[in-house]
Amino acid sequence: MSTNEHIHKQKLTDPPKTVKFKIQRREKEGADSHWETFEVAYRRNMNVISALMEIRKNPVTTDGKETTPPVWDMSCLEQVCGICTMVINGRVRQSCSALIDDLLVATGGNTVTLQPMTKFPNVRDLKVDRTRMFEHLKQVNAWIDLDGSYDLGPGPHISSEVAHERYVYSRCMTCGCCLEACPQYSENQYIGPQAIAQARLFNMHPVGKTEMDERLNGLMEENGIANCGNAQNCLQVCPMSIPLPRAIYETNRDITVNSLFGWLKR
Amino acid sequence: MAIKFSTTFLLRKLHQVTGIVPLGMFYFVHIYTNVTAMNGPKVFNDHVQDIHDIPFLLFIEVFGIFLPLAYHSIYGVLISGEAKVNVLSYPYARNWFYLFQRITGGFLFFFLLFHLLNFRFGLIPGLNMTPVAGHAQEAFSIVSTEFQKGWIVVVYILGVLATAWHLGYGFFLFVVDWGFVISEKAQKLTIKAALVLALLLGLVGVNAVFAFVRPCGLLPQSLCESSHVKRTPTAPARF
Repeated sequence: MSTNEHIHKQKLTDPPKTVKFKIQRREKEGADSHWETFEVAYRRNMNVISALMEIRKNPVTTDGKETTPPVWDMSCLEQVCGICTMVINGRVRQSCSALIDDLLVATGGNTVTLQPMTKFPNVRDLKVDRTRMFEHLKQVNAWIDLDGSYDLGPGPHISSEVAHERYVYSRCMTCGCCLEACPQYSENQYIGPQAIAQARLFNMHPVGKTEMDERLNGLMEENGIANCGNAQNCLQVCPMSIPLPRAIYETNRDITVNSLFGWLKR
Repeated sequence: MAIKFSTTFLLRKLHQVTGIVPLGMFYFVHIYTNVTAMNGPKVFNDHVQDIHDIPFLLFIEVFGIFLPLAYHSIYGVLISGEAKVNVLSYPYARNWFYLFQRITGGFLFFFLLFHLLNFRFGLIPGLNMTPVAGHAQEAFSIVSTEFQKGWIVVVYILGVLATAWHLGYGFFLFVVDWGFVISEKAQKLTIKAALVLALLLGLVGVNAVFAFVRPCGLLPQSLCESSHVKRTPTAPARF
């Protein structure tokens, strides 16, 4: 399964001289946001990050106003860390893999709109604080307890089918795309697909399975899995092509069998 | 480890179940009764009479229909309030379906209130004031008189179509929310089945609306003639 289906690598046959970047800016958390537009000379193979770096060199808006350099997060620059996620032309994605040619071919114009993700606290400009995703992982015990004072021996055998399915879930980079696109997600209302898929990853592990009840309990809290509305935007926007609805529905089955009807076998 | 259910979790599960088990089941019975109107007033009224003859009818009506309906609709409106609709940014089919489910639900909230007051209770001044409940032999004429008004027919057609969508797609939502259907392939099949069900419920329902205006509804009348079976009145049973 490819993880770059959303990158089309289209080429503009007649590229514009300059590209405009309309950026939603905010001084600090809680401050009012405003828009600023910058113009950058077009270059072949430009992506959103390289354009932002150009803007940073000379932060002057199209109105000629000198301003502060826009702030954003970046690290790996190859779409495996997830930190540079932002809303580009209205759709959430990683800015490092958002190619300018692709974006302009899709819109037919020469303007690219950049906004921070809306479902997280906005630290400044395009930078957000995604701490709550890690709180969600804690809520569902997304790990395997393996502490012992002596050698526990080799782990249990895992069939290649299970290993393959787990590998897909393990690619999650906590980028936040699924939460941003989810119409049900907001703070304290719904835990979101990311944590559910990670709970599934560890519930599928033969050792992790022994703590499944704890994970299911975490998922049955007020903000838990039952808040899913099945709009399945998460499946469409996940840059790692993780089958998030499948993880949710597998977990729904675990909850039905173990939690709702578990008393029938006790 | 002890299992802990949160209030939200239980309320959601109850919402999902009430939509299918009492309400979905009831709707099939309801639409069946309506369809009998294709065969004329006598057949329809007799079927309405049959419902009146069900033992413990009030109990079934209150606990099998009114309470689940009140819960499902009120909690459904609360759920809809949580939606942060984003179909314009993310215009995918299932995202639209998510929105349709909430729009049809919101419409049905008001439609069903109107429908109950209009026919079950006959309490809307200016419209029908004879409750169908307790007047089985007048049932057909109550509805057909009401359907002389064009706007009422439009409202009922919209109600029937909204119900068809909401129940049909609701079946898909139920089977995924309870973990019956998991894989993408199975989801696709179930969605297709759900949409076919919605289409059938819509077509049959709309035709049943017209059955109160014209014999056999929108279908050729020859289809209904052959099935005109007169009920022979049975002698009262002796004990």
